[in-house]
Amino acid sequence: MPPSRRAPVARDSAPVTEMALRVAEVRKTFGALEAIKNVSIDVADGEFISLLGPSGCGKSTLLMMIAGLTQPTSGKLVLAGSPITGPRKDVGVVFQSPVLLPWRSVLDNVLFPIELLRLPRQQYHDRAMELLRMTKLEDFANALPRQLSGGMRQRTSICRALIHNPSTLLMDEPFSALDAITRDDMAVELLRIWQANRKTVVFVTHSIREAAFLSDRVLVMGRRPATIIDEVKIDLPRPRQVGMTEEESFNTYVRHLRKSIEASHAS
Amino acid sequence: MLAKLNASLKDSAWPLGTTFLLLAAWEAAVRIMGIRSIVLPPPSEVVEVMFRRYDLLLDHLWPSVYLTVLGFALSVVGGIVVAVLITYSEIVRKGFYPMIVVSQVVPKVSIAPLFIVWFGTGTMSSLLLAFLIAFFPMTINAAMGFQSVDEDIDKMARTFMGSRWQIFWKIRLPNALPYIFGGMKISITLAIIGVIVSEFVASQQGIGYLIKLAGGLLDTPLMLGAITILSIAGLVLYGLIAAVEKRAIYWQAPIDTTMEAQI
Repeated sequence: MPPSRRAPVARDSAPVTEMALRVAEVRKTFGALEAIKNVSIDVADGEFISLLGPSGCGKSTLLMMIAGLTQPTSGKLVLAGSPITGPRKDVGVVFQSPVLLPWRSVLDNVLFPIELLRLPRQQYHDRAMELLRMTKLEDFANALPRQLSGGMRQRTSICRALIHNPSTLLMDEPFSALDAITRDDMAVELLRIWQANRKTVVFVTHSIREAAFLSDRVLVMGRRPATIIDEVKIDLPRPRQVGMTEEESFNTYVRHLRKSIEASHAS
Repeated sequence: MLAKLNASLKDSAWPLGTTFLLLAAWEAAVRIMGIRSIVLPPPSEVVEVMFRRYDLLLDHLWPSVYLTVLGFALSVVGGIVVAVLITYSEIVRKGFYPMIVVSQVVPKVSIAPLFIVWFGTGTMSSLLLAFLIAFFPMTINAAMGFQSVDEDIDKMARTFMGSRWQIFWKIRLPNALPYIFGGMKISITLAIIGVIVSEFVASQQGIGYLIKLAGGLLDTPLMLGAITILSIAGLVLYGLIAAVEKRAIYWQAPIDTTMEAQI
């Protein structure tokens, strides 16, 4: 809905007025268990943020609430000006596992949301091929998922999340099932796609380096009940390259984030 | 292609070889020990009878095959429909599913005489017994298939606003196909049993009737001929399902539940 999605957002100072996503005082309890306690987040249009925290800290639950799959116990979630009441068209989700349908080809998997949303398939065919080209999967358009490597499968699922051109991309530890080398490649790849196809991204991870490398801003979540215990703006230039992870400026961020997480463990 | 054919020939060489050896040993034993044909005819005599009386055998085979296929088809349709109800209706799942599972314990064959009382000695009894006996594995397999959808796949479809209807047709049904074919392979063999048993109990036609009749006449070669032709028909039906399965489930290896079900 926001018409200015394509407009490049100033890297250092995202305009505070135009919030793509607003999470306000959200609480989530499962019975007596308090999973998320009073979380508020504002994400600017086109901003890449990470939710960083240990496994089982409730960051995935928060993401599923933004995806509209779970309702908060209290608090408000607003996306592009309208409250989130359920799954919606302007959101794409990438899960921890690629969750591809094994009987569909790569291309048909990418076009699956188009079918579910009852959009004209023909019209999105070219876009699907374009996304596959961007992720170097064009030669595998007709292959079945079982013929792909783990990294290729997850790239397919990223294409699927982007096919209907959502304004917001939600990613739930998408690279955690991959080996370390593939993982680094995927991070670079993701940034390339994001650079070309600017979306608001909420990226859930438990990898400190991954969060620092990818994000404009990292929100550190503490253990149960989950709250935001730290917020770090990553002022590294874009486009980012793997070489930057060797630099002192990057490692300063990593050290800072690690301290925040350790502090939350101590308490 | 040629290598594949070669490999499959190699694979079948062993069972074919042992079968041939056993038949040869049988033939030799009968001849050497002078066993009477009424007790155990040699394979050559069985084959001879099958060629000589093929029209009689086929006359009785067709009704049995026809009822088997019909009963099987009904069990597939009925099983899938009930499986859908089990998947989507809590009442059916909680109330009837346990009942269906427990009723598996009842040997269906023992109901055959009751069916004769209810439906007479005609084809209706055979058909119903075939259906009943084939229905349970079909239902349970299909229900398992519909319900075994990965939770994350379901979540994924919901984030893209998939309706229940879409999720059924585009996810649950294809996901259940390997299970459904597994069920079909069990059901077809059970449907044959159902038909033959009901023909044993009361019928004027069918291969089961012919086996019983030949037994009464102490025509052992004809009995064995009928059993052989029935086995061949069973193999063909099973093979047809396996062939369709291979094409339908191109994305994975078939699930073989046949062995466990028979035990």
